Amino acid sequence: MSSPDIVTPRAASIAPKKRRGLLRPNTLLIIALVLPGLLLAVLFKLVPLIRAFWLSLLQTRGFEEPTFAWFANYQSMLRDPVFAQSFKNAAMVFVTLPVWIFLPLVIALLLFQRTPGWKLFRAVYFLPYMIAPVVVGIMFRQILSPEGPLNAFLIGIGLGPLAIEWLNGPTSALFSLTAVALWAFFGLGVLTYLSGLATVPQDVVEAARLDGAGFWRLLVSIAMPLIKPVIGYWTVLCMSSMLIWMFPLIYALTRGGPGSATMLPEYLVFITTFEFLNRGKGAAIGMALFVFAALVSAFVVRRMYLEGKGRSS
Amino acid sequence: MSVTAQMIDHTSRSRARSIVKRGLAKWLVTFALVVVAVAALYPLLFTIINSMKSRVGYAQNPLGLPLDITFENYFDTFNRMNVPRLLFNSIITTTGGLLLSTVAALFIAYAVTKLRMRGGNLLFLFIISMLVIPSQVVIYPLYETILGLGFGGTYQGLILAYAAFGLPMSTYLLVAYFRAIPDELIEAARLDGAGDMRILFQVLLPISTPAIAALSILNFVWMWNDLLLPLVIMGGSDKTTLMVGVALLSGQYDVSIPLISAGLIIALLPVMLVYFLFQRQILNGAIAGAVR
Amino acid sequence: MTTVLNFATMRRQLQAGCAAVVLGVAALGAPVFAQDVTTIKVLNWQPGGPEYWAALVAAFEAENPDIKVALETVPFDRYPEVQGPYITTKSGPDVMENNGGLELFDRRSAYLALPPEVMAAGDDLITHSGGCLNFDPTQACYGLPFGYQGNVMYYNKAVLTEAGLDAANPPTTWDEMDAACKAVQAIGKTCLAHGMTGVFPAYWNFPEIARNYLTEDDMRAILAGDMPWTDPKMISILEAMASIGERGWINSNSPSISMLPDGADIFSSGNAAFASTIIADAVNWQAFGTALGDENVGAMRWPMLVPDAPLAKSFSGVESSVFGVSSWTDKQEASLKFVKFIAGVENGNLLTSLGGGIALNKNVDPNLIPKSQALAQIREIIKTPTLHVGVLLSGQEADALGRGWQEVTLGRLSVADWAARLQIALEESPGKN
Repeated sequence: MSSPDIVTPRAASIAPKKRRGLLRPNTLLIIALVLPGLLLAVLFKLVPLIRAFWLSLLQTRGFEEPTFAWFANYQSMLRDPVFAQSFKNAAMVFVTLPVWIFLPLVIALLLFQRTPGWKLFRAVYFLPYMIAPVVVGIMFRQILSPEGPLNAFLIGIGLGPLAIEWLNGPTSALFSLTAVALWAFFGLGVLTYLSGLATVPQDVVEAARLDGAGFWRLLVSIAMPLIKPVIGYWTVLCMSSMLIWMFPLIYALTRGGPGSATMLPEYLVFITTFEFLNRGKGAAIGMALFVFAALVSAFVVRRMYLEGKGRSS
Repeated sequence: MSVTAQMIDHTSRSRARSIVKRGLAKWLVTFALVVVAVAALYPLLFTIINSMKSRVGYAQNPLGLPLDITFENYFDTFNRMNVPRLLFNSIITTTGGLLLSTVAALFIAYAVTKLRMRGGNLLFLFIISMLVIPSQVVIYPLYETILGLGFGGTYQGLILAYAAFGLPMSTYLLVAYFRAIPDELIEAARLDGAGDMRILFQVLLPISTPAIAALSILNFVWMWNDLLLPLVIMGGSDKTTLMVGVALLSGQYDVSIPLISAGLIIALLPVMLVYFLFQRQILNGAIAGAVR
Repeated sequence: MTTVLNFATMRRQLQAGCAAVVLGVAALGAPVFAQDVTTIKVLNWQPGGPEYWAALVAAFEAENPDIKVALETVPFDRYPEVQGPYITTKSGPDVMENNGGLELFDRRSAYLALPPEVMAAGDDLITHSGGCLNFDPTQACYGLPFGYQGNVMYYNKAVLTEAGLDAANPPTTWDEMDAACKAVQAIGKTCLAHGMTGVFPAYWNFPEIARNYLTEDDMRAILAGDMPWTDPKMISILEAMASIGERGWINSNSPSISMLPDGADIFSSGNAAFASTIIADAVNWQAFGTALGDENVGAMRWPMLVPDAPLAKSFSGVESSVFGVSSWTDKQEASLKFVKFIAGVENGNLLTSLGGGIALNKNVDPNLIPKSQALAQIREIIKTPTLHVGVLLSGQEADALGRGWQEVTLGRLSVADWAARLQIALEESPGKN
């Protein structure tokens, strides 16, 4: 791992000569290696982002030629109550993050104790993740409907009062959407955690169990500290996926409704641009979302960076 | 009764009690796991069942098993969309996107971690920070850019976009993985006279399979299932993907749940096939790439 | 190649697959053999279904052997995402479909004004004003239609009879409707099967209520952005929409389900007396007839609120869509031929026989019209057309109308606040200021 340090003394003494000899081909090689990825990132992410920022400064009227308008779109955006609502909803979705992180962990630990048939369970849990989100949305439109199978089941087992109109209430609709997204995503988490748990020495677990450690003690004081990097990685995946996964669900299930109860910023950008034909304002909301995403994921990217960066330079 | 006997009796009784308790706990755990499994499987079963109902049958009996099974919806789906062509398109674009993003990420990871390039960490930071630009936010200017490059409605256009959006995660996984590979390994190969390409593809690549598998699964799933990028970049051209074909089934005014269900199942089949073929790799090794 | 293929041709297609790839690649380098064949791209959402569209293309190509048609079919509800960038970059298809009214007028920079010899084809149509600026055929026209669209109320005669109502005389006024709903609820069924998710339910039902309070001049004022939503007439319309929920006509989950397919499914299952949806293209008389039996399905005009209002007995009709030629195309002549064909009698016959649609062409063969009582009733209703106010709303207005209706029905928004939101939406509408 620390080989750069080891070779440093030797390398330093021959460095001038060697560097001069290797500089040109090496630089060319590095350019050749870096260019494809750099071009992809610049052309298809950075350039569109800059164009979006430019667009956000333009006053667009349908498809007529746009005019420069400074921050008029931003002013209009801040006046719009739906804009505030959409970010409030996004924050609400993020509040459920602990569930996204711990539910798969608990399930993984249950499987990890070699419950009979654990391999089958593992395979089944991963299945929903493979299903396209838009397909998931269409499936759950039927399942969550008031006369749908979920409510029929709840009434059947005597939990009639729980059989609510899932998508009709302001809180229940957002809750239902988040739950559906979690349904689709948790299997990947179970699998990730299982891989992490596989690195935990079995005798450590056995020793703890002989000491009379219960499930929760095992979870909190043995498993969690040992697989901390895995939890970190899974958190990264969750945070970068949550909003993206919600979009097709909103599209297929609620269209942001009832009212704007399930409106999220991404969906608002989308309808402002394509339904309201207000590309300038859509871009302004997109910029706000970009800032939000950047703030939320700053720690995620920082973590990824620290994990992947070299010791020096 | 002696004290010892009493003690033995006590421990054996408590052991018996704890065995019962543990047995009960085991049943509870299994029960909980079964409940989760049913919850995970049911929506899929529900969709399969609905896809075998006639329109009238569904209207009269939306929840139960079909009274008479029909495959009419599947024939209808094939009539309405050119499934083989759409499938072909999906395979081309997903494979292309997957390969391009993996190779680009491999190159960058090698340059950043093993060639000690100047500004390597900055480049790494730049690439992974692209993660915070979701496609929905830039879709309009992205498509204008792609049209400007002359890639509108082409395989290249979609492949490039897929690769760009898959790049940050791929780069992150590979860089983190390469960091853990000791440099001595590379120096040894270099002493044997191996060039950089041979080192990358014949030394590093084979030992990185877990990371490659992990990023391939993440990328395959989202690229195959993505709707927005192919919809916009391909427009309604005949190079569009299976997912867009399914969206067309449900996007028409003439919507019937059994028909859409059949379309959903057809769209799912290839993914399921991949899953069952590579189940061992996916479930055992794959995600471990992220974990080490 | 079209996106539509018959099951029968599919196997052949599959066999030819590999060869086609090779040939396709080879063709890129080879000279084009049939140089006088022009291929035009037609952006569409396939109203009337794939079968009808395959027949339409075949008929057009048979009539014009030198023109090939490549369809770019995009889901109806994802259409703007694909079309928008085409328009801003001035590239893409040669012929494009759009809804008539504001949607088309907003995009008129992307269209050629049709020359008089093409517009002459419009003379055979019952109406074609939806393709002309401000619905005025004397102004520039950007597209020609082929089918007719609008909303009626379908009713289930079996349910009406069960509720003790006269199925031969369904309600014609708001009060009669109210009485009918009470009777239907008494037998434990939904009166008006309804879903409000998305903009379409509001966008389609609004005009049927608006006719009771507005004149055609008022409607043109809405198009121009000169009618404030706080106007007493507009408030009356919103109050009437709100009362549908207050009176309990609709299923309680209406705010969170969609009309198509959810609301239509409630009606198709025989659990509702009425449903309001479109007359052609889709879940319509034909689909309901299949589910409930043709003899049980009837169609009626929306009940009247103000029976002596000038437009109370009319029908809010709109061209189902119009086809125009893009301003950037270099295949103008072929594209114009296609647009002309769209309005022609041959296409009208195909739409009538294959698409389940209601053709606008006056010369359609009456023998082709399907025998259905509901369709016969629809053909009666559409004889007194007026403008469709829904298509005069901007995207913002339609959205605020739809979301507001959901919240008003859930009792979380007052009509006054709803109107205020709509007024803001109007002021924010790029096309109306």
